[in-house]
Amino acid sequence: MFKSTTIHKKMLNCLCCPYAYIKTLIFFLIMLFLGDIPLLAQENVEVFPSAPYDRFIIYQALVLFWIGIIGLIVIIKMKLKEIERIQDMGIDKEEKDIPFLD
Amino acid sequence: MSCQRLKNWIEDRYDLDGLRGFAKHKLIPVHRYEVLYYTGGLAMFLFIIQFITGMVLSFYYIPYFEQAHKSIIEIVTKLNMGWFFRSLHHWGAQLSIGVLFIHVFSTLLLKSYRKPRELLWITGFILLGISIFFGLSGYFLLWDERAFAAVRVATGGAGNLPVIGGFIKSFLRGGIDVTGDTLTRFYAFHVSVLPILTLILMGIHIALVQYHGMSVPISEEKNVRKHVPFFPNVLYKDFIIWLVALGVVVTLSILMPPEIGKKADTLAAPPENIKPEWYFLFLFQTLKLFPGDLMGLNGEMIAIVLISLGILFFFLIPFFDRRSARGEKSPVFTWIGIIYTAYFIVMTIIGFLT
Repeated sequence: MFKSTTIHKKMLNCLCCPYAYIKTLIFFLIMLFLGDIPLLAQENVEVFPSAPYDRFIIYQALVLFWIGIIGLIVIIKMKLKEIERIQDMGIDKEEKDIPFLD
Repeated sequence: MSCQRLKNWIEDRYDLDGLRGFAKHKLIPVHRYEVLYYTGGLAMFLFIIQFITGMVLSFYYIPYFEQAHKSIIEIVTKLNMGWFFRSLHHWGAQLSIGVLFIHVFSTLLLKSYRKPRELLWITGFILLGISIFFGLSGYFLLWDERAFAAVRVATGGAGNLPVIGGFIKSFLRGGIDVTGDTLTRFYAFHVSVLPILTLILMGIHIALVQYHGMSVPISEEKNVRKHVPFFPNVLYKDFIIWLVALGVVVTLSILMPPEIGKKADTLAAPPENIKPEWYFLFLFQTLKLFPGDLMGLNGEMIAIVLISLGILFFFLIPFFDRRSARGEKSPVFTWIGIIYTAYFIVMTIIGFLT
């Protein structure tokens, strides 16, 4: 009974006072959008971590990963150059009938 | 067991020296177009990435139409690094198909298909077809509205082929229309049928490459500067390219993770302005060139028949190009190769821009 009276009073206030009417309208609009939030989330699934700290860690890992890749490429390139130098000198071929050294 | 003991144990049983000798004596010719030799190894490396990431994703994916979409959302949002593995799988697929196209078109233009490498061409061509079907079936597993519409169009297009079209369509769909049964069927293709076929064909392809050695283009036969050993020279260069490719795949996965669309509704109309994946764009554009009705016949059916004939001719090129088989220059087939390559590139770009 008490609740019903309060609601009636509020409704009357809404009808009489335009300020209260706007307030109620805004309240309903907010409630409407709040109700839609799960739907919006369903449409745009976050395919990448959204927390700034997570993002920072991921980008930092990416930079470190590229540094590692470049480092490995430099090492392989140096090794390849050395092999090619030895091949050009012709000292990479095994001689036949070479005595074994124990 | 120490490393030396393990080595001795293996050497007692297997002829490792023979393998070492084979690796040392395998020579690769050095010429102007040698860079294209690396596309095959790169495609294989990207396939390995696909196998690994695919296995990880299959632990969590649910191949049932009511849960498929939700399971992918959970992989991406709830699992640790789930988004990363899905993204790696997506970009690995895009790059591997791209590299395979480069590999096939370079083989076509350099006429590496010529006698005695016809079987290499055939196995490679089938592998490209399998990869495209891998792409389509994997795309459908997402069970979102775009994938659903794409599979409906693709299987419907195959259904326009005369005589066998109806059978292919119903075999792929597992029924009259695209339904949950199609998802189960595509999952089976994607994780069991296609990987087994790929492994068998890749094994044959690699064995044939070892058997025949690397092909030298006719125009470069006199310009071969020298031969370098595959191990370690070429293998080291392969490693460098693979490392760069890995970096590119990881970077793309982080900077451009693939989106997840709305869950597919079997009764809803397809979304507007829908486009297939980039490797289907040239077919999509070709279909657009044909009117709905051509001389009283179904225009789409004529287009599908012509496209199929074009692909069949492409597949059988080693058997038509008799001059190359004799080791002579064949400008007609060079032009045919250029036309095929240009058509694919131009139509893909037009499809992408429109």
